[in-house]
Amino acid sequence: MNRRGFLTTGLALALAGCAGDGGAGEDGTTTTAPPATSTPTPDAETLDTHPAAADLAAQPTLGPDPREATGVIVAFEDPSCPTCRRFEENVVPQLREELIDPGTVSFVFRGYPVIYPWGEPATKALEAAYDHDAAAHWTLLAHYFANQGSYRGSEPATVYDETESFLAAETDLDATAVVDAARNGEYDAAVQTDLDAGEAAGAGGRTPHLFFFRDGVYRTKSGGFTGITTIKNVLEV
Amino acid sequence: MVRLPTATRDWRLVGRTVRLVLGIPSYAAWALLLSILALTVFSLSQSLSVLAFVLSGAVPAGAGLRILLDQYPVLGPRYDLVTGFALLAIAALVGVNLALVTYHVREHGLSAEGGGGSAVGVLLGLLGAGCAACGSAILAGLLSLFGVAGLGTLLPFEGLEFSAVALVVLLLSTYWLAEGMRGGEIRGCPVDID
Repeated sequence: MNRRGFLTTGLALALAGCAGDGGAGEDGTTTTAPPATSTPTPDAETLDTHPAAADLAAQPTLGPDPREATGVIVAFEDPSCPTCRRFEENVVPQLREELIDPGTVSFVFRGYPVIYPWGEPATKALEAAYDHDAAAHWTLLAHYFANQGSYRGSEPATVYDETESFLAAETDLDATAVVDAARNGEYDAAVQTDLDAGEAAGAGGRTPHLFFFRDGVYRTKSGGFTGITTIKNVLEV
Repeated sequence: MVRLPTATRDWRLVGRTVRLVLGIPSYAAWALLLSILALTVFSLSQSLSVLAFVLSGAVPAGAGLRILLDQYPVLGPRYDLVTGFALLAIAALVGVNLALVTYHVREHGLSAEGGGGSAVGVLLGLLGAGCAACGSAILAGLLSLFGVAGLGTLLPFEGLEFSAVALVVLLLSTYWLAEGMRGGEIRGCPVDID
C-alpha cells in the first residue's frame, strides 16, 4: 500500500471510529447524565409550550414522568408505517435498556396515522386500549407492527375485527367493548388531538417523527428512522 | 435516434471510457468529491432539523460529528443494507457521470449532452433516499398530489423502486456520454476499441 492509500485508509478508519454511540455511558451501564452543553435561550420552547407536547399527560409513556426525566422523546408513530416498525424493532429495545428503564429518558408515544389508511382505525383502537389498560396499548402496538403485512389494504371493519380477536386472545380487556368504542368514534377526538399536535409541530407526513427535549427544553426533531447514536448525542445522555 | 446499450461491447465501451477518464488523477478526485457530495445531499437532506441543530453548536463537536455520520448509509442505521448500498451506488455513479460530463465539456469542447441524465439520476436518488429513510411518506405525499395516493400501496419496496430507477437512469446517461466520446481519444488512447 502506498503512502496515499495508507493515509486515506487511516482517515476512513478514524471517521468510522467516531461513528460509535458516543455520549455518556458508552459501555451501556447506567450513568447519571452529564449536564447539557448549551444553555437554553429565554425564548426556547419547552414541554409547556411546544406543540408536540400538547396534552402530554394523557399520552402513553414509557419510563419516568416526562416532567421529571432528564430527556424526553415525543414520538409520532403510525402503526401502518414500515419505518416505524423498523424503529420499534431495532432502536426501541436498546433505548429501553439503556435510557428508559434506568430512568434517564421518558418515551412518549403519539399515534399519528398518516401513512396507510388502515393506520387510522388501528390508532383509534390503540387509544381505546390505552384508556382501559396501558399495558394492553403497548401489546397491541407491537402486534400491529409485527403484522403490518396482513393488515395492509384492510378495510376499517376488518382492522377492528382482527383487533378484537387479538385483544380477546392476548389481553384481559373486554375486547368487544374496547373495539366497539373505537368503532363508534369515541376516540376520534383523541386521535385528532395527536394529529393536530403533530401537524402543528411540523411532523408533516413523515413517521416516525421524534421530538427531543432535554431538561424540559426542546432541542430538535428527527423525521424517519433515527438511530440510538443520534438520540443519545442529541439528548447528551 | 436514442441508442440503448444492449450489447456487451456497449458496456465495454462504458468501462473503457470510465477507466480512461478516472485514470486521470484530477478527474478521479473530482469524481470522488462529487460522489461524497451527492451522498451528503442524499443523507443530510432527510435530516435538515438535525443538521441545523448540530451546526448551531448546541452539542460538542464530537457529538455533532457522531450525529451527522449516523445519517449516512452503512455508517448509520437509517437505511437497511440493500437501500444503503443502493444509495452508495447511486452516489458513486453520480460522481463518475459528472466527471465524464466535465471531461467531455472541458477536453472535447462540447456541450453537456447527457448531463440531463445526471440531474434526473440525482433527483431520483433523492427520492429513493427519502422514501427509504421515512417509509413511504414522501411517496404517498407525492402521489396524493396527482390524486393517486393509493398507488403507493402497489409499490412493495418502500421507495427502493426509485433508487433502482435512479441507477438505470445514471447507467444510461453514462453510456450515452461514452457513446458521445466514441471515435475520440482520452489521454491519447482511442475510446472505441472495436
